[in-house]
Amino acid sequence: MTRAAIIVCWVMAIGLALFLIIPLLVIAAASFSPTPVFDLPLTGASTRWYGRIGRLDGFWPSLLLSLQIALLSTVISLVCGTLAAIAIARGKLPGAGIFATALVSPLMMPGLVLGIALLQGFRAVGFTAPWATLLVAHLVITLPYVARTMISGLARFDFTLIEAARTLGCSYPGSVLRVMVPALAPSFLIAGIFSFLASFDNYPVSIFLADVRTKTLPIRMLQYIEEAPDPTLAALSTLILAGTVILLFVSDRVVGLHRMAGTSD
Amino acid sequence: MSESSPHLVVRGVSKRYGPTTVLDHIDLTIRRGELVTLLGPSGCGKTTLLRAIAGLAQPDTGKVELAGRDITHVPPHKRNVGVVFQSYALFPHLTVAGNVAFGLKVRGMARREIDVAVDRALSLVKLGHLASRRISALSGGQQQRVALARAIAVEPDVLLFDEALSALDRKLREEMQVELRRLLQEVKATAIFVTHDQDEALTMSDRVAVMNKGRIEQLAEPRELYLRPASLFALNFVGLSTRISGTVLSADNGKVDVETKVGRLSALGNFQAGSPVIVAARPEQLRIGGEDETNSASGRVRSVVFQGSRTLVEVDAGAGESLLAELSGRDGAIPGVHDEIRLSWPVAETFAFPMEAQA
Repeated sequence: MTRAAIIVCWVMAIGLALFLIIPLLVIAAASFSPTPVFDLPLTGASTRWYGRIGRLDGFWPSLLLSLQIALLSTVISLVCGTLAAIAIARGKLPGAGIFATALVSPLMMPGLVLGIALLQGFRAVGFTAPWATLLVAHLVITLPYVARTMISGLARFDFTLIEAARTLGCSYPGSVLRVMVPALAPSFLIAGIFSFLASFDNYPVSIFLADVRTKTLPIRMLQYIEEAPDPTLAALSTLILAGTVILLFVSDRVVGLHRMAGTSD
Repeated sequence: MSESSPHLVVRGVSKRYGPTTVLDHIDLTIRRGELVTLLGPSGCGKTTLLRAIAGLAQPDTGKVELAGRDITHVPPHKRNVGVVFQSYALFPHLTVAGNVAFGLKVRGMARREIDVAVDRALSLVKLGHLASRRISALSGGQQQRVALARAIAVEPDVLLFDEALSALDRKLREEMQVELRRLLQEVKATAIFVTHDQDEALTMSDRVAVMNKGRIEQLAEPRELYLRPASLFALNFVGLSTRISGTVLSADNGKVDVETKVGRLSALGNFQAGSPVIVAARPEQLRIGGEDETNSASGRVRSVVFQGSRTLVEVDAGAGESLLAELSGRDGAIPGVHDEIRLSWPVAETFAFPMEAQA
């Protein structure tokens, strides 16, 4: 590569990284703003907006609902998605490729389309309980993340490892637990994190299924910003951001992000 | 138990996958401390037989006994076998020592004893200094040794090698063959190798079982297998040979005279007059020139291949038959391509086999 080309690529890499990170820094800064209207330059710092998060109208039920739905749909997706991925990855299922595409297809669907389709579909079969419909809808959102990650993780998994463990004195279920689960731990973790985050911040699907008493956090947040746009929302966003960073940091400590990204061993 | 008593007994084991018979009433008895190779082309059933012994494949009929115990219906984790897989199947989430310790931990051995056993197994394969390495940081040859150490550490009643050396490059493989044999004899292991590599089979084993189509065609010591192949398949699969088809003219007490397109030849074998046969000899038995009391044939040299310590000469004997001679460096003059030469070989080293449809 010529020198000029290298410089262009470097500028691109650094520029894009800044482009992605600066909005996050701005919202973090805004959350500490002493005045209700965020203004640069900063004239001091205040944490009073953080104190107000808990007093937002309907905040706690929405947070609880979002956490419940995200956790439950992730756990269910991990179990069901992994079993389905095993069937596909072992390759003996006729038409495995078609099933794999079908499992991953919601990823390529616009959320709005998915939301309307689910709403109409649920209505048609008379399934209208808001909490349950939300959970099922979020399974549709999270399953593709799990399926995609687990299919590629399992494709690289050598099932001879299970046979090796068995001949070394491990029962079949023991071999799965002692060998397959730890060997696939990075895949499980990355599938779980993506699935959880996809569910936790989903708006376009949830909006069609929520009702007055069953509002997920993203829906509630959009409502706040329409009603009273003060730094409380920035504080909440910063907390969510911090939570995500901690989640990723801990995962990195546990299995290593380089293994999660599959870039090296 | 004495050295010569049966240690592993396979009796009448059959296995079918759908319409295909993979194992066809296999009988095999292995003594304690013996190194036996199952040799054959892919699809001959050798790996399935190994898996049946390991408990990873359930035979349809027959029995497997190991160390005086009927293990036919015992699951693999209670068989006390050690398997070295072709892919090594090392656990990527564990270190070298973690892999070797796996079988011992599962057996509930005390930590101190595990450490001792792991050290011993790793020093046997000369990898003591890499105990805390990650598996992915090892070379292919080192991974192979870890797999071996892991299998040996549990002190199995029998060690099973499924094409365990085939992933190594040629030079390393040949070194490992010799080293592995020495190591297994040192720890007095009973072992079965599965391979399609005849050199590996001849180098490593006390006895070789040549397998074809789910059957054992011949079970013999390497030397006997090479010098006295029991079937045309065994002859073809192990080593090179000259093969000429013909018809038996007369038979006399284990010896037959055969009319072939290159002339009349004598061979060892029991056949009735008129039987179609293949007459065969090993290439190193063929010599340039004619002598009395020997078989001989002449033709034009088609190719000369120099292979270091030996030179292979292929002779077109006419009528679609060819002769293969192996001349050692001490044999003097090597003929040139297109030379007309006469080759002769002793009757006592010439064998007749029944003509097979596929040959």
